[in-house]
Amino acid sequence: MNRWQRFDNFISRLEQLMISVLLGVMILAAFLQIVLRNFFSTGLAWGDPLVRYLVIWVGFIGASLAVREGKHITIEIVAHWLPARANRYLRSVSHLFSALVCGLLSWAALKFVRVEALMGGPAIFGLPSWVPQIILPAAFGIMTLRFGAQFGIELFTDSSSGLKRYQNLKT
Amino acid sequence: MTLTLAVIITVVLLLIGAPIFIVICGLTLYLFYSSQIDFSAIIVEIYRLATTPVLVAIPLFTFAGYLLSESGAARRLIRLSNAFLGWLPGGLAVIALCTCAVFTALTGATGLTIIALGGILLPAMMRARYSEPFSLGLVTTSGTLGLLFPPSLPLIVYAVVAKVRIDHLFIAGILPGILLVVLLSAFSVYQSLRTEVPRSRFQLNEVLEALKDAAWELPLPAVVLGGIYSGFFAVSEAAAISAVYVLLVETVIYRDISFRALPGIMRQSMVLVGGILIILGAAMGLTNYLIDEQIPLRMLAFFKAHIHSKIIFLMVLNGFLLAVGCTMGIFSALVVVVPLLGPIAQAYGIDPLHLGIIFLTNLEIGASIPPLGINLFIASMRFEKPVLRLYVASLPFIAILLLALALITYWPSLSLMLIK
Repeated sequence: MNRWQRFDNFISRLEQLMISVLLGVMILAAFLQIVLRNFFSTGLAWGDPLVRYLVIWVGFIGASLAVREGKHITIEIVAHWLPARANRYLRSVSHLFSALVCGLLSWAALKFVRVEALMGGPAIFGLPSWVPQIILPAAFGIMTLRFGAQFGIELFTDSSSGLKRYQNLKT
Repeated sequence: MTLTLAVIITVVLLLIGAPIFIVICGLTLYLFYSSQIDFSAIIVEIYRLATTPVLVAIPLFTFAGYLLSESGAARRLIRLSNAFLGWLPGGLAVIALCTCAVFTALTGATGLTIIALGGILLPAMMRARYSEPFSLGLVTTSGTLGLLFPPSLPLIVYAVVAKVRIDHLFIAGILPGILLVVLLSAFSVYQSLRTEVPRSRFQLNEVLEALKDAAWELPLPAVVLGGIYSGFFAVSEAAAISAVYVLLVETVIYRDISFRALPGIMRQSMVLVGGILIILGAAMGLTNYLIDEQIPLRMLAFFKAHIHSKIIFLMVLNGFLLAVGCTMGIFSALVVVVPLLGPIAQAYGIDPLHLGIIFLTNLEIGASIPPLGINLFIASMRFEKPVLRLYVASLPFIAILLLALALITYWPSLSLMLIK
């Protein structure tokens, strides 16, 4: 488990770095477009597509971090009325299911990128169109690992609040 | 038979707290599998997000909203409105309502209002001798007040999902939004007259000081709204301008936020954006499958067979949306329910813009409705009060909001008159 935590910490630092850089570039590029359009009646051809790709990247990195921080939108009706022990088992079921779904999504995303690599045209900066799509299998893959690890922690840690404690440690 | 089982499993997983996007994707994968569609089609649907032009407004406005909530903007906003309105009977309550509405519009109804403003407003109201239940109820139900004012995130998400013109939707929300604030303000004034809350005096000095204090933040709503309404720039451009402007004002001019705090704020805000975008993408896959299978058409046939009048349809719609807003939360309700109910409502002759305002008002109120409204839980955590006490405290406010909802629902021109 220790090795997993080190790996997870490394990934999340990388994600933090990417979010800061990509969001910064997104804000600058979007702003630059406005300045060019309104004051110089021109614009960058790659500006709008770049911003759209950045939204997808930042969004999916955020979604992956949201798994780590337990911040995805959920409906927790049952949890309010059940004892801690029962909750733990229910949570582990939900983590296992989430890992399975994300696993399938990663596989589907890989397939999607492979097809695009064979048939797709160019994106921006002379890059082929599958390059910006890489974020999909990558993010779903990391989400699969994180849900899987949370399932393990929930099921095999002694304390009834294993995952909560683990999440507190990280932040 | 197996479909029924799949739906039951889906509901159970939702109830035990599996993330909503996971459950939607799981159900979609099952449906694709059983109709032998390749799994990568779900990714094609999710990736269609990349071709939605207005989408960039979501991360940019969210980031600007998080910056505002981390800065001293809330304090300055309250000081300013206090200087202007503090002399009125019920002034502080009216201030609380107005500031919450403005703040929610800017930060996007994501629970930030109660966290950022509640901590200042609640003690101030208690000091001004408003009763505790009244103050608690007001601050709790105001957590989503202002959701109808641009540039709130739910308005943008509705426009994306329902494919309506976002600038028109922004205009449609104004009068209904004002109606909500005015009705609640009238109730507050009445309450404070009855309980004889002391008032403060109007002081020109304080007004000028407060104006000077907030001078850099005041232009923001004017620039954003003025720019959009005059057609000077598009919504996504307004979002970029807000992000740059707020960033400069809060880090360089007020210095409320240090540069070292920026990566953390970026991360927090993008975690929220990721949570919303991924539900949006997941729901696109599911709803497109359902539309291909003509589910909305079949639902429409069912509705037409049982509900003949528009008024009854609207009543059923309101009840359903309040329940959905209370359980699913605003964003997931929008992306899942709008594509399914939109065509049906249109068949009953409801304008898509008016429908959007009905949707958002319902979801706004649903967020405060016991036992599950999210505002109640956020307020309970923020103010360290038992949820039960908040249930009771919010009831009178919910009654007034429901009255406003009835007006908004059955008086379409309130939403549409400014557009024509």
